Amino acid sequence: MARVDVKNVSLSFGAYRALNDVSISFADGGFYALLGPSGSGKTTLLRMIAGFEYPDEGSILIGGEAVESVPVDKRRIGMVFQNYAIFPNMSVAENVAFGLRVRGEKGAGVEKAVSDALDLVQLGHLAKRRPHQLSGGQRQRVALARAIVTKPRVLLLDEPLSALDKGLRKDMQIELKRIQREVGVTTIFVTHDQDEALSISDRIGILKDGAIVQEGAPEEIYDRPRSEFAATFLGEANIIEGTAEGGRLTLENGVSIPLPQEAARSSGHLRCAIRPERVHVVPGGLASVNLSQAGTLTGIVRHKLFSGSLSTYSIDCDGRQFQAIVPRTGEDDIRMGSPVEVTWKKEDLIILA
Amino acid sequence: MTPSFKTRRRNGLLSALPLLLPAYAWLTLAIFLPLSAMVYFSLLSDIAPNAPSPSLTIENYATFFSDPLYATLLWRSLVLGLIVTLACLVIGFPAAYVLAKILKGRAREAIFLLVILPFWSNSLVRVFSWSMVLREGGILDTALNAVLPFEVTFDLIYSYPAVVIGLVHSYLPYMVLTCYLTLQAIDDALIEAARSLGASRLSALRRIVLPLAMPGMLAGSALIFIPVVGSFMEPRILGGRNGTLFGTVIEDQFTAVYNWPLGAALSFILLAVVLVILLAAAPVLRRTA
Amino acid sequence: MMRSSSLLSGLGRVYIGLVLVFLYLPLVIMAAMSFNASPFYQLPFEGTTSWYAALASNEGLIASTLNSLQIAVLTTLIATTLGTAASLALFRSDFRGKRALQALLFPPIAIPWLISGTAMLIFFFGTGIGRGLHAILLGHVALALPYVIIVVSARLQTFPRELEDAAASLGASRWQTTRKVTLPAIAPGIVAGALFAFAVSFDQFVVSYFLATPGQTTLPVEIYAAIRKGFTPEINAVSTIVILFSMGLMLIVSRFFRFAGDR
Repeated sequence: MARVDVKNVSLSFGAYRALNDVSISFADGGFYALLGPSGSGKTTLLRMIAGFEYPDEGSILIGGEAVESVPVDKRRIGMVFQNYAIFPNMSVAENVAFGLRVRGEKGAGVEKAVSDALDLVQLGHLAKRRPHQLSGGQRQRVALARAIVTKPRVLLLDEPLSALDKGLRKDMQIELKRIQREVGVTTIFVTHDQDEALSISDRIGILKDGAIVQEGAPEEIYDRPRSEFAATFLGEANIIEGTAEGGRLTLENGVSIPLPQEAARSSGHLRCAIRPERVHVVPGGLASVNLSQAGTLTGIVRHKLFSGSLSTYSIDCDGRQFQAIVPRTGEDDIRMGSPVEVTWKKEDLIILA
Repeated sequence: MTPSFKTRRRNGLLSALPLLLPAYAWLTLAIFLPLSAMVYFSLLSDIAPNAPSPSLTIENYATFFSDPLYATLLWRSLVLGLIVTLACLVIGFPAAYVLAKILKGRAREAIFLLVILPFWSNSLVRVFSWSMVLREGGILDTALNAVLPFEVTFDLIYSYPAVVIGLVHSYLPYMVLTCYLTLQAIDDALIEAARSLGASRLSALRRIVLPLAMPGMLAGSALIFIPVVGSFMEPRILGGRNGTLFGTVIEDQFTAVYNWPLGAALSFILLAVVLVILLAAAPVLRRTA
Repeated sequence: MMRSSSLLSGLGRVYIGLVLVFLYLPLVIMAAMSFNASPFYQLPFEGTTSWYAALASNEGLIASTLNSLQIAVLTTLIATTLGTAASLALFRSDFRGKRALQALLFPPIAIPWLISGTAMLIFFFGTGIGRGLHAILLGHVALALPYVIIVVSARLQTFPRELEDAAASLGASRWQTTRKVTLPAIAPGIVAGALFAFAVSFDQFVVSYFLATPGQTTLPVEIYAAIRKGFTPEINAVSTIVILFSMGLMLIVSRFFRFAGDR
């Protein structure tokens, strides 16, 4: 086990800059998610930590040791690939034993380690199977067992769940988390699935255009995104902008809303975000709210999306689309086309950079 | 895994027959009947092919076994087949590897085309072109003497090496093609996975790439070995008197000596040997496929 | 160490370059020699086009070239038609022994041409079919058929069966479906198969060699006879033309049929 430090790393493929001065640290034993849209550089960063790409500039340290010029087979890492990359010419047990065998290990020690690893992923009974006899979820477990049997210093996962169907993916997320906790290996997990990143990782790094946009604990990033990109990529957000002065924000349409405490002294142009589930929708006339403590806009319901326990309203506030997610309690259904007022507590307003 | 249910009933043999029949009839007339005729002919005594009452005999096969010359030549042809096949494998596999795993995009496509293009041009002409390179006073000779400080006589024409060079040149594209197709089908992630597990480049090649590429290497080997064992034109052009092989002896029976029954027997023996070798290789092929 | 992968790819490129030199060097030299004045390929090089001019008056070569072209065109037409029909039938049907039947397509490729050629010679001679251009055509079609079927079948593998069902559900008959839906969709495969057939026939030497008669011969057989008689620079000239023609043809094929297989 070891911590991983990426320091000022850049990499270009021809004219394309895949990573641009990236610095990020992964603490020993942590479970990290690298999240970003395709082309954001998250997979490149992972492959660079693995040793499949070498940085043009900067350094990579595993356990405090600079490894940027160490080839992949000498880095003592474990990696799980997007399509699992199970060796088709070997049985399950042979696949798992591969990493030990290429290190020259033999005999009962190998067998013990392999069966322990297979037990850990609950596949002990399938050791003799051939890869083509396995389901997607089983392949995933074989890939995981194979990656951890060598006791790697860091475990790298490249979108390991994206090939699984939805139900299985949920199960595997829980499973992955359990195994990671049991083994205690520093784990870096690349995904483009926000929910996945939020639910299984201790920390999340969001990448965009080859740079880290924000890094932190899932709640922190969700509750306090620092940029519009972070706010909209991780979850939904309504963006509001205007001119700040004296603790209030004046919007384009002249409406004034209160700013939270942290922005009380801001002035000039300001962009803010508000999560749809923090928005309340009040039908008809004026809501009885304290205008110094709550933001309020008026609008007309344009669309309504019903999803079981929740309703999502799309509300037109002077030409600006506003999303609100409201729990359905039975008595407060709002019809399309009806005028409403949307309100939120001023502390729920997120100030963006 | 679970058997997949057929969602659609496909047609049986009967409805396919009208479209299949012409092709198979043609193959019967031009391949299967001639092969049968050859077997029959090989059992005839050495008389004029259209004599009224040919008698059946195993004399022609006896000739093969009684005169060690034939066995020697057959052995020579098999060894030549082996040498050429191995040379093609050793030269062709790395080339296929570079094409499939190192080159990318347009460069790969263009070079791949260049490699297999000669394969579709006349092999006779390509073999002939070597005679200009390999002869004394030829290009290679002249070029070497221009560069080297001492005098060398370079005259490979009408030698065994010349035959090998010509045949390797003729059949190399087969090996590159078949190896390329299997190598291309190997997911790069498998090699990366092996590397991430601590395997060196060489170890990944030996433990992952080579086993998975085996079907292509074997298919290429079969595609080369079979025609080389029966080659007669290449040895004649490049081997001269040193190019006497089983294939040239068979050719002689049909075009010079006019002992067709013996020629048929020798052809059939060659076919049998090739089939035995193929059958021996079949389980390996099936296992690796 | 750090850039061992780029070092490797550099070495790989050099290696491929050497292989290409090996493959093309003799052809380039032959082409160069076809413009060399010395009939014994002597250097220094003295340019001339007289060997090409001499071709024009070589009646044997011209006649055999016309024969080769004629046989190649007929082979292409027949093998493509029969092969496409068989591919469609195999694609649409499923029956016991289908694999065995498909395996029967391979002997023309899997048996040394020497054996196919001598067997045809024996059979055609014995049955009164005889030798000559018609026998050569019989043989060439048999040799080209498997190639057509392999290429067209490969194309059919990418053809979604649902399209035929959709056409049928819209009221199209089997024949209408074939003509308006299936054949247009696999047309690139058919064209590629046809060009393969042409190349197989036009370049075929061994089988033609055993089936040719003095008056009825093909270009490769004629070239072989000339080589056996002794070198003449005219062979270089005609060989150069043949090589350029075949390779040009395959360049066209490659436009229809992507060998490299990148999806």
